[in-house]
Amino acid sequence: MLHSSIDRAAQATPPPVAQRIKGLSDRAIAWIFVAPSIVLLLAINIFPLIWTIRLSFTNFRVNRPNEPVQFVGLRNYLNILTDEDIWLTMQATAHFLIWTIVLQVLIGFSLAYLINKKFRGNDLWTTIIVLPMMLSPAVVGNFWTFLYQPQIGLFNYAVGFLTGADPSSFSMIGDTALAPWSIIIVDTWMWTPFVMLICLAGLRSIPSSIYEAAECDRASSWRQFWTITVPMVLPFLMLAILFRGIENFKMFDLVVQLTGGGPGSITELTSINLKREAFEKWRTGYASAYAVILFVTVFGLASIYVKALNKVKQR
Amino acid sequence: MLWSLKATRECCAVAEVVLQNVTKTFGGHPALDDVSMTVPNGSFVVLLGPTGAGKTTTLRMVSGLDNPDSGEVFIGGQAMRGLTPAQRNVAMVFQQYSLYPHLSVRQNLEFPLKSPLLKTPQKAIDEKVNAIAEVLQISHKLDNKATALSGGEMQRVSIGRALVRNPQIYLMDEPLSSLDAKLRADLRVELKNIQAKSGATLLYVTHDQIEAMTMATHIGVLEEGRLVQFGSPREIYEAPVSVYAASRLGQPRINVLPANLFAGSPERAKSIGLRPEHIVQGSGEDALVTRVEHLGDQTRLHISFKHHDLVTVTDPHTGFRGGETIKIQPHKPLFFDAAGMRIA
Repeated sequence: MLHSSIDRAAQATPPPVAQRIKGLSDRAIAWIFVAPSIVLLLAINIFPLIWTIRLSFTNFRVNRPNEPVQFVGLRNYLNILTDEDIWLTMQATAHFLIWTIVLQVLIGFSLAYLINKKFRGNDLWTTIIVLPMMLSPAVVGNFWTFLYQPQIGLFNYAVGFLTGADPSSFSMIGDTALAPWSIIIVDTWMWTPFVMLICLAGLRSIPSSIYEAAECDRASSWRQFWTITVPMVLPFLMLAILFRGIENFKMFDLVVQLTGGGPGSITELTSINLKREAFEKWRTGYASAYAVILFVTVFGLASIYVKALNKVKQR
Repeated sequence: MLWSLKATRECCAVAEVVLQNVTKTFGGHPALDDVSMTVPNGSFVVLLGPTGAGKTTTLRMVSGLDNPDSGEVFIGGQAMRGLTPAQRNVAMVFQQYSLYPHLSVRQNLEFPLKSPLLKTPQKAIDEKVNAIAEVLQISHKLDNKATALSGGEMQRVSIGRALVRNPQIYLMDEPLSSLDAKLRADLRVELKNIQAKSGATLLYVTHDQIEAMTMATHIGVLEEGRLVQFGSPREIYEAPVSVYAASRLGQPRINVLPANLFAGSPERAKSIGLRPEHIVQGSGEDALVTRVEHLGDQTRLHISFKHHDLVTVTDPHTGFRGGETIKIQPHKPLFFDAAGMRIA
């Protein structure tokens, strides 16, 4: 009886982990696995955050470590929020954010919709479209400065060819009206594929049988698009917007490569402005307060957005 | 309830559906092979056959989700070639439900009525949706999301989405398959009532022979894409054209034995088909009862006759036990030739 197949099966089952590692409960073992990540998180995320908040109430300058550090209360915050230049960089950032997202969503969704149609070589086209996303932003910024060259740039040549304007009559990077758009165009060129990929995942998640049901329910293609395709892709699209929004709020590399914030400070986005304050003017306390304000802004906006996203998902 | 369903049905268009030499091949494999059949206006046609026989393909041909490689489908006398499902005025219940997952049950049921073409007033939509929901016993779930339902509930919503409409023909692909036994029996009666009272035309796919026998006015038996027999349930049951058609109906299944087991078989007969009513008990040759199954309303006898197994039905209160001997004799059995075709 003892050697029945059930007994043998029971013996073959390994004992719980805790019994094999003497003296440790399952809970303790779980902590051992989790601890390294928690230590890392504390060291490189949580501690710097707390330290930054502490510095933001002082006049500390990192390039003068020997000077006495004074507690200045909310003065840094007041100075920032009343500074008109900073509001201008905020506006420039908002302008950049809104236009990149609008363009990337419209173009990205349209491309995804087209690629999702079954046609020969759509995999190849997907690969080609996705290429810009794979490049380093520094490289992209660098070669777009060549494309934007008024005398030899391909971009200026193409615009001239299409509109009949003289290619050397305008400079995308040098003109105060065009410079913001030079960045928006490059960012859209580079990151639309990302939005497209996420939309494509959304489109592919809709089973064809739902369209067949709608077809039998006599819904026109137009109605199918608005009552099935759009609502079912919307959660994906909103996720793409969240990613792009957070990424572009801290946009840095492309702008530095393309315009460096110029001409003047027309394209000086908050991240570039902040870097100037922190590592060119070395106003560490002031820059810390600036960083805290940006953090709270992004965090607040993202939280509201994620709530809306969850609502859409549950709908 | 049923009255209100009937009252909201505007009219009944002549909806005779004709399939004419319809052939469809999927990747070199024939799904439908030269199928011709007429679904008369107001009839309830059930398609029978195992998986892969072409039942669903037939529905998809009529709905317009797929188009025949050759042959023609007519609905109400009009050729359907080149018309999309939306242009055809058919309602379809899918086997895999195909509900709109982002919509509530109510929105799912409203969807076909909310077509901009119909311009149905909201009040009429509400009335219809509520009436259908009550018939299908899903009134309390109307505001749930479609994905927050059990399989049986989803299937009912899917049936409801077809019933709110007034199409020329309803196409249903195993609509009751995932319901529990009681609900299935309820809805079987309900569907049949709706169909009988409204005069709707139905083309219905099922594996369940009780559904086929009780609901159908006509049954089509499909075998590997060919329509082998088309007729009333009684015709198919009593006069099947082949062993295959005979095996589609009858519970327990028809017993097929070598014809030479019994004296008096016709010359060409290769096998003999015995339904329970073809087996007279109490006279003839000896057979061994191997097992007795009491099902309540009937009792099944598993019998071994000259080393061949057969199953028949006997009095529910029988005193038979396994191991006993019984005398059996065929009575007006069916005979089939070597190819399985019926000869007498």
